[in-house]
Order: sequence, then structure tokens, then C-alpha cells
Amino acid sequence: MYGSQFDGGAAFSGGGFMPSQTTQAADPSFSSSKNREIQSLLPLTVKQIKEAFLLSDDKSNFTIDGVDVNNVTLVGMVCNRTGRITDVTFILDDGTGRIECNKWVQELVDSNEVEGILDGMYVRIHGHLKGFMGKRTLNVFSIRPITDFNEIASHFIDCIYVHLYNTRLRKLQGGVTTQQQMANSTSTPMKGSPAAPPHQFSGQYNVGQKNIEQMVLDFLQLPSSNADEKGVHCDVIARQLRVSMDKLMSSIQNLVEEGLIYSTTDDFHFKSTING
Amino acid sequence: MRVIVNFQHMDTSSPTVFVNAELLPMYVGRKVRAVVQVTQSDGEIKTGKSTDERQLIIKGLPQVPPMTHVEVIGIAESEQSIHAETWTNFGNTFDTQSYNQVCQLANGDFKGLFL
Repeated sequence: MYGSQFDGGAAFSGGGFMPSQTTQAADPSFSSSKNREIQSLLPLTVKQIKEAFLLSDDKSNFTIDGVDVNNVTLVGMVCNRTGRITDVTFILDDGTGRIECNKWVQELVDSNEVEGILDGMYVRIHGHLKGFMGKRTLNVFSIRPITDFNEIASHFIDCIYVHLYNTRLRKLQGGVTTQQQMANSTSTPMKGSPAAPPHQFSGQYNVGQKNIEQMVLDFLQLPSSNADEKGVHCDVIARQLRVSMDKLMSSIQNLVEEGLIYSTTDDFHFKSTING
Repeated sequence: MRVIVNFQHMDTSSPTVFVNAELLPMYVGRKVRAVVQVTQSDGEIKTGKSTDERQLIIKGLPQVPPMTHVEVIGIAESEQSIHAETWTNFGNTFDTQSYNQVCQLANGDFKGLFL
């Protein structure tokens, strides 16, 4: 759910449904599915946002724990609320830091939303993180007062959980890449590699065939697997993932039938259809 | 000899630490936040039960209905007391155990996300 399953780019592109072009608050990341990135909603603390890694200066490409940051949700207290005709700005203080927020007010639904929001109030915010000249601000889509204060503890626990999930995922992906790099340089069989196989990560993967399919898919989606136009030879996949050739070939067949991978120059080289 | 420390020039925009009674002593002089259930009222000085079931003294709190949970944000004046600057009524149905765990996690393994 956090950063791995829902392909927001694919879900919202095509089919005639696009966010209104006239709305100032239209999120540009919805309309650009050019790299079909998985867009996730991250619960965060302001401290995490302040420490987010900026990929490039010209766009707001932040990463936190190795995950692209697009839409975020925060809980905190409103300060310095300033209402103008077209927008409302305020500072959100969640106890870990303060961040400037901006909500555009153009329709009645927007003004109703911000009308009851006062300084000193605890609110839940959903928005998009923006960076400009080193300053990070939030473009708020949705704001509502908190009525059940257990939501505060719940939000911070959410932040901790997602942080843990993403950092573990990153460690596992890092482990697989290391294996491949070692194989390319020494071409000796992998023995005693410190990285845990991906299927041991969490109970959400089914043991058995589905598990191998997921491993193959994850492997083929790595940037290193897509460096060559031919993709990866099934021998290499079998060696990297340490699965037998028959199990591998049947997984590959299933993945091909589902349209997730395809063969390239011959029947032994495969590439992922996503990120390919 | 009595030493008086003036906390009024503290940078109050710095992160507010989640504390319970056990953690409060670590942050004397700093801005903290804690949830207490007011048990006794003695004018300006209130006694409350912290989320880890110990006693805390809160100064500067106005009259609150008994047994309600109140989040107090202010400067930790001593190992057992907080001088309140702002406060929020968290109602009667507040889960102190979960909040207490957040205090522990925010000061322990996951300090980097908070402070």
C-alpha cells in the first residue's frame, strides 16, 4: 500500500479522465505518467520532510527512505493563518517542525473547508510537497479539523510504520543489486550472501510459485536489469535468485502470459514491461 | 544556594518533545508536550496523571473539567513539572496507552523522525 502496489499513473491516465485543467490545485504529477511511477501517499512528520533528499533542483523530486514523495499527509496544529481572496496560508506545526502550507480557495467547497480552521486547531492535511529555492512548502488538497485526538497518536505510529517498511524494502533491494554486481565482476556462484532473499521480507508474499514470480519481477524491474536492451538471460536470473531452472521457467511463463515481462532477442532473454 | 534559571529566551520554535513522566527529566528546560488527566486542582497548580500513570505538576493551566485528558505544551520546569503555554482538550475517550507508546518510540528507536 505504501509505495509498492498502486500504480496511480496507470490508473489515472487515458480513458478521458483527467483532473480539471482550470483548477490551480491540479496536481501535475497526476497528469504526467511519462515514467509510470508508482505514486504513493506518505504519512510524514515535518522533520522527515525537512530532511527529504532532493533529486534535482528544477523539479520537486523528493525522496524519503528511497521512496518518491508526491502526496503526503500530516497532522499538526495551525499557526499564523492568513486568509486572502484566492488562497489561505498557514504554518503547520506538528511538534517535529514547522512547514508553510498553502490552500487555494476557488470554489465554495474550498472556502467551506477552510472557514472553520483557526489558529491553535489540530488538523489533518493531505497535500503535495513542493520545493522552491530550497524552501519546502505544502500545497494542501484537503484539510479538516481533528475531532478524535487519538488520530494524533495514530498518525505518528503510521509515520513510524511506513518509515520502517520503506527502509526494510530498500535494504532488500540494495542486497539484490549487490549480488548482481558481484556476479558480473567475478562470475563465481554466490555463496553466503548477507542479503536476505526478498521472499523472507513479509508475510504478504505467498510461499511457492507466486513468490518466485514476484522475485523475478522485482529483479527485472531493477535499473541494472534494464541497462541492456536485451534484458536479462534466464540463466542469470536463476543464478541471482537461486531458483531451479524449471521453477524459473514456469514463473517466467506465467509472467509473460500476464503481460508483465516479455522475451527480447531470443527465448532466453527477458525484460520487464514496466520500467523497461 | 538557590539557582534561578530564566527560560524565557528559549527558542520555542524548536521541536516539541513527546514526553511522559519517565522521559520528562531528560528534557528539563526544553519545550515538551505531554498528555495528562487532571486529578487535582490547587489554583494555578494542577496535578495530573501522565500517560505512564505517574504524577505530573502543570502550572498555568486554566480550569478544566476533571478526568478529561489535556495535552499540555510548554517548558519543562523541573523533572516533574511543566509550565504550560498552550493546551488542548483531548476529551474523555483518549487512548493513553497508544500515546505513551508514541512517546517511547519518538524518544527511542525513531527519534530521527521526531527530533
